[in-house]
Amino acid sequence: MKILIIEDEIELLIGISNYLTKENYICELADSFQKAETKLSIYEYDIILLDITLPDGNGLELLKLFKKFNSKAGVIIISAKNSTDDKIKGLDLGADDYMTKPFQLSELNSRIKAVIRRRHFDGNNTLEFNEMVINTESKSIYIKGEEVVFTRKEYDLFLYFFINKNRVLTKEALAEHLWDDNIDLADNFDFIYTHLNNIRRKIKIAGGTDYIKTIYGMGYKFTEQ
Amino acid sequence: MKFLTKINRNYFLLLTFTLLIATISAYFILETILLDNAKENLLEKEALIKNQLDKTGETPNIYPIIEVRRSKQATNQLPLFKEIQIKNKEEEDEIETFLEYSSQIKIKNTYYLIKLRQSSFESDDLELILMVFFGVMLLSTFGISFFVSRRMNKTVWTDFEKNLHEIEKFSFAGNKKLYLLDSDIEEFDRLNLAIEKLTEKLRTDYLSLKEFSENASHEIQTPLSIALLNLEEILQQELNEDTFKKVLTSMNALKRLSGLNQSLILLTKIDNRQFVADKVVSFSGLATYKIEEFSSLFEAKNIVVEMNLEEDFAVKINEQLAELLINNLFSNAIKHNIKNGKIQLTINKNEFKICNSGETNLLTDETVFSRFTKGDSKSYGLGLAIVKNICETNNLEIHYTKNEVHCFTIHSKIKK
Repeated sequence: MKILIIEDEIELLIGISNYLTKENYICELADSFQKAETKLSIYEYDIILLDITLPDGNGLELLKLFKKFNSKAGVIIISAKNSTDDKIKGLDLGADDYMTKPFQLSELNSRIKAVIRRRHFDGNNTLEFNEMVINTESKSIYIKGEEVVFTRKEYDLFLYFFINKNRVLTKEALAEHLWDDNIDLADNFDFIYTHLNNIRRKIKIAGGTDYIKTIYGMGYKFTEQ
Repeated sequence: MKFLTKINRNYFLLLTFTLLIATISAYFILETILLDNAKENLLEKEALIKNQLDKTGETPNIYPIIEVRRSKQATNQLPLFKEIQIKNKEEEDEIETFLEYSSQIKIKNTYYLIKLRQSSFESDDLELILMVFFGVMLLSTFGISFFVSRRMNKTVWTDFEKNLHEIEKFSFAGNKKLYLLDSDIEEFDRLNLAIEKLTEKLRTDYLSLKEFSENASHEIQTPLSIALLNLEEILQQELNEDTFKKVLTSMNALKRLSGLNQSLILLTKIDNRQFVADKVVSFSGLATYKIEEFSSLFEAKNIVVEMNLEEDFAVKINEQLAELLINNLFSNAIKHNIKNGKIQLTINKNEFKICNSGETNLLTDETVFSRFTKGDSKSYGLGLAIVKNICETNNLEIHYTKNEVHCFTIHSKIKK
């Protein structure tokens, strides 16, 4: 998967690109409107991460322009502005998603994967790991060929782990993924335990392995080791 | 009271007063003039009679106007003017007032007593005439001013009314400038100019404030993103528990800072009325949606949610703000709830009420909504301030009451 990251803040640009490279994406970088425009007119990308506020132009203009060149790529807007106007404008112009800074890299990965799935770039809608298969179309989970029924939130949580394999995910990151800043939880993450216990129990009953490891009681990691 | 009504009323009062004074003065002036005329008339007649007596010696007598008698001795009490009442012979009841002039003249050693009378102009009649005059004047001026003002309303005031309407519906959140119609009246044009200048100044201030808050958001969120991104990566390395904890604490502190920043910007935006109320939102619909969304949070604390829906509470409000409002109220009700607690919703046409069980606190209706007032140290202390702000900017009232349960009640200020 080829990703173009358009972001004027160099530190952020490098940080995102390092992470995505580790996740096996091919990354190209542009730190200005001009550079992004040039790259978009020459190359093709699968995913574009787009910052709206660029020093030499508005990212939304870039979005309009690029839709002319290449309508295949998925676009995720990354903006410091938590502005509904911008969000609506961006989505109207054909963006697939809108993320507000600051965001978790694991969340970014999950959103990129969601766009890829939605656009069927890899031609299939199942994710597999050992005895587990997730069908992202029907939102169902199979363990050893048998379907295990998860609630919506459990499914979301499990998929998030699945996509961010071998990565430490904090309770906060999980809560944020599930609730999207909607709720000021006051450091009360009881429900994460509840969800995780349910998930673990269901996997155990279906005869699967519990790949979710607890780290110092503060974070979790989906890993085979 | 309308401007024209007020002017008309003042005008009418002043006119009545002036006319009244004028009429009363006219009465006295007319009376004096008439009296003087009558006296002059009588004196002229006296001269004529004197002349006739001198020539012919005849004493003319026409009752009651002229009476001439010979008299023996002279008197020095005359001449004299006085008013007397005489009964009219033809019409029994009517008593007429006459001005009587008595004098004595001496012709050829004979004294003549002359009494000349003239029916004086009756003050009753004078009063009547003046009253009629007064009434007619008053009615006609009032009538004219009424028609003139009605006509002015259609011509002079229409532009003013249009401009007023324009100003009333003007919103800073809209991107439009305020344009007012020109009129050919100097005062109105001055007013228009003043208002246009004022709104333009306010609008630019408003826009720069909006820009500032958005820029502030951007400038703060970007470095926070960089710090958080790097800390997240550090977390992926093999860390001992102590370091892991420190990184995590730093991340949480930064997220908190970011959350605070966003909440404060949001408050400013609500205060600036950047959210346009464009939709009638069903609160029961929203509440149902939120209950579904937060179901796992309720489960985690084993909270029972009861919804008592009589009739929908619907308000014209910005949809996003309405969602935020309900969201924060639920968030509050969950956060400050106890294990195995409950949340009760009561929704009817006039109010939306959310109650939750919880521990007692020292907060009151006055303090609970203040910024950075916290029941405990964990929250930002902005959730309810945002709720209050949303209510205040959308014609809603919110109150906090507590006995066994903590309740927040929202009323609409607009009467239905």
